[in-house]
Amino acid sequence: MDKDMQKKEGQTQDDQSSNSSSLVQKIQSLGQTNVPQAPDSNIHVLSIVGQIEGHIQLPPQNKTTKYEHLLPQLIAIEQNPKIEGLVILLNTVGGDVEAGLALAEMISSMSKPTVSIVLGGGHSIGVPIAVSADHSFIVPTATMTIHPVRLTGLVIGVPQTFEYLDKMQERVINFVVSHSNIKEEKFKDLMFAKGNLTRDIGTNVVGHDAVDYGLIDGVGGVKEAMEKVNELIDNTQGPQQEVIQ
Amino acid sequence: MILYTPLAETDIFPHEAGENVNRECINYNGKQVFVEKNKDGSYQLLQLLSTDPQDFLDDNYSPGTIIN
Repeated sequence: MDKDMQKKEGQTQDDQSSNSSSLVQKIQSLGQTNVPQAPDSNIHVLSIVGQIEGHIQLPPQNKTTKYEHLLPQLIAIEQNPKIEGLVILLNTVGGDVEAGLALAEMISSMSKPTVSIVLGGGHSIGVPIAVSADHSFIVPTATMTIHPVRLTGLVIGVPQTFEYLDKMQERVINFVVSHSNIKEEKFKDLMFAKGNLTRDIGTNVVGHDAVDYGLIDGVGGVKEAMEKVNELIDNTQGPQQEVIQ
Repeated sequence: MILYTPLAETDIFPHEAGENVNRECINYNGKQVFVEKNKDGSYQLLQLLSTDPQDFLDDNYSPGTIIN
């Protein structure tokens, strides 16, 4: 009996020492001790933060979202019957055009309800990703910079380079226009506007303005997004349940 | 490659040599995680790549956890 007790005490002491060391680790890294546990979620979350990394690996001091990590996750979400909806969190400064368009096309071609929230910033190539969801939200303080696609660094100085760049830009414009309520004219006006950005061409669209232009569907945050995704899930599942009855 | 971003090229590609070369993406208990190799040979978890919000509540995947 005593031995058992001693054993148990020994174990709890061991547990405590291992707990305290992991606790110290967590306080050092997170600044907090524990997070609450909750049941499984039928809505998954995809966060697209920092720069969108494409064909070329960016230096490690950049915070990046690697598109090759996200594409298989999107397929997994599409395949998993337990996952009913997807919320996309966006806080990005843009990045690789083709990686961004790949993500946007993947999200827009998913059969499950998708809702995006633009938090902080959804600049440049973040714009097509934001509008690719079934319903998009922007928080009142978030901004989206719309500006022309441009090149820096070494460029082959032939007219074809600029034609290629123009076509690239056309792909972005076409995607945004076909997946949001903004008119092509209006989007191009914003893209090529002068005087809005200091010494640059383009427009910085803030929260409510993005909704007024028809670029984003609504102003809202987590609560609105969760309500919308649940509503979309109910809509897609509604008729099937009636057939069963 | 064409970057579509309001950032300047020098912000993305600084001239000094890159550090943090001992950073890698591994599969840990079926989840993709970014880890950094410590001097003692253990790995410290930097970032969890998952779409399941519940994974982020799991203590085993919180940033800073040491993996042996």
